[in-house]
Amino acid sequence: MTSSIFMHPATMFIVGALLLPLFKKFNAQKVWLVLVPLLAFMQIKYLPSSFGCVEWMGFKLQFGRVDQLTMVFLHVFTLMALIGSIFGLHVKESGQHAAAWLYVAGSLGTTLAGDYLVVFIFWELMAFASVFLVWYRKRKKSIDAGFRYLLVHTFGGLVLLGGIFLHYQATHDLSFVAVSPETATIGEYLIMIGFMLNAAVPPIHAWLPDAYPEATVTGAVFMCAFTTKTAVYVLARGFAGFEALMILGAIMTLYGVFYAVIENDARRILAYHIVSQVGYMVCGVGIGTEMAVNGACAHAYAHILYKALLFMGVGSVLEMTGRSKLSELGGLYKYMPLTMIFTVIGGIAISGFPLTSGFISKSMIIAAAGEHHQLIVMCMLSLAAVGTFLSVGIKLPYFIWFGPNDCGLKPKEAPWNMQLGMFMAAFMCLFLGMYPKFLYDMLPYAVHYNAYNMAHLSETFHLLGFTAFGFYLMVKYLKPHDVSNLDLDWFYRRGAGWFMWFARNPVSASNEFVSNIYRTVGLRLTMAMARGLSWFDWEGIDWALDGSARGVVKGGDQVRQIQTGKLQHYIGAAVALLFLVLVVVVLI
Amino acid sequence: MIVKFLTYLRERPEMLKWLLMSFLAFSLVFDFFVDHHEGHFWGDHLVGFWAVFGLVGCLGMIVFCKGLSHVWLERDTDHYDK
Repeated sequence: MTSSIFMHPATMFIVGALLLPLFKKFNAQKVWLVLVPLLAFMQIKYLPSSFGCVEWMGFKLQFGRVDQLTMVFLHVFTLMALIGSIFGLHVKESGQHAAAWLYVAGSLGTTLAGDYLVVFIFWELMAFASVFLVWYRKRKKSIDAGFRYLLVHTFGGLVLLGGIFLHYQATHDLSFVAVSPETATIGEYLIMIGFMLNAAVPPIHAWLPDAYPEATVTGAVFMCAFTTKTAVYVLARGFAGFEALMILGAIMTLYGVFYAVIENDARRILAYHIVSQVGYMVCGVGIGTEMAVNGACAHAYAHILYKALLFMGVGSVLEMTGRSKLSELGGLYKYMPLTMIFTVIGGIAISGFPLTSGFISKSMIIAAAGEHHQLIVMCMLSLAAVGTFLSVGIKLPYFIWFGPNDCGLKPKEAPWNMQLGMFMAAFMCLFLGMYPKFLYDMLPYAVHYNAYNMAHLSETFHLLGFTAFGFYLMVKYLKPHDVSNLDLDWFYRRGAGWFMWFARNPVSASNEFVSNIYRTVGLRLTMAMARGLSWFDWEGIDWALDGSARGVVKGGDQVRQIQTGKLQHYIGAAVALLFLVLVVVVLI
Repeated sequence: MIVKFLTYLRERPEMLKWLLMSFLAFSLVFDFFVDHHEGHFWGDHLVGFWAVFGLVGCLGMIVFCKGLSHVWLERDTDHYDK
């Protein structure tokens, strides 16, 4: 491949998704599922620094802008697409693979976008494609959670769009470049809030632990990697150095980990823990120094791999046993030992054990907070690290694979492709920890940080060792129960109920009253007039126009039959159409 | 093989306890040989500061979170369906 021949990575995934049914027909779906992400992964280094610039209705759009910051995210996104596709090879439904790939395409498109309009288009694609990964679980709870997810993201998208309009009105420039905290106005802040919603920054985070645990096994593996990390990328690109992000990020790390300590469902624990881990990145972006932004990117790279690994591990358990609640699991190490080893590698990597990827990435952000003289932030991040090891490093593996009592299940080990996916992610977690230069060389700024110094090693030994001791002392209080915990989604889940009550009772009653009057007085009068007019129209005018009205009625009948009344179908059709338009735009 | 090894360990909780204790002792001794002059704040200059931070943080977090869940946040899993 030469540098002059390349394809926009998003286009590769969109075309790949559209052709999937064809390959399924010829029994070659599995080959295609590996080939497309592999090609995308291999060709990213041949991308030119700027491409896909088009004029559209007076706007200059840029579909491709590649620099060091883009590259580190592109690298991990395409690698993750490959790992996730291999993990999902056994899934026969093409639709699920197609949704995952369109979602990846949205994420890659956002990462490569050079202006706000392109960002917005791919941003929405990401939301609308990923919701199908929730719906494909096909349980009532998943359908409901999917609709909530979609509504929240539509709201976030509207905030983003409003921000883009105001920004354009003020500057007449749509290019997506860094915003200075001194000059930011309401437009830029709205854009930032739109981005923050996808990064799951409290108080607008509740969509994440609501939807991810309801997604399909493979869907959750994709979802945990792309939405929040794309948001971290756009925040790093546009809003580095905003102090609000630093404070909110530090709060996030603790908020997420607190819930991870008390939750029972393994995938909900991991979902809350995404909030915590993305908090480190948002905080790093908010600090805004070279070291902190480097740390945020490094942590995003490392986090995608180990969090996906953890989701693959508990996903395998869910696939093989049908259970994901800690209170219903235990003693599985005898039956799924390989899955256990991979998941524990993910657990120690996320906790930042020496020789794993968490050790070399998380510490960069904490050290950057220290060098920026943000001691409170630094201590909050360190405390979140304690909670991480407690909840995901020890509690989760302990209650699934060991635990005080066996659950009595004897599941088989997960299929080979799931294990291969886990192996690849586990390998990367250890490889990055042992050879950090590989990751450090990809970062946007030069790295002058060495994670393997004596003080950091000693600090890590203490934090991890004494957290384990704390777990040992308190293990009986941590025994999981079959409950769920209230979160801020209470406001819209209960609020919607109240709104519906209000609509049904007072509003509906007054509506009924007005309709009654209309029925008795107005309707008769109107009907008589309408009959007269209709006769005139049908017999007089349409006769003159050669029966076209009859044709329209017939056509309308046919259209009516296409409409199934299912919202999912409409959204699916709309998304498919949008993708087609995009393919045409990007290809030409 | 790995299963047998883990079962062997699981049947000997006392041994695991002493392994953990000896690691904690090692980590404390290790800290005496670390240069504490460079650090971001006063805690970094104290021997064993992060050990206390880890233990107190862990215990405090369990008590705080479990307590909060118990008195306020905890609901049935079908809470919103009712």
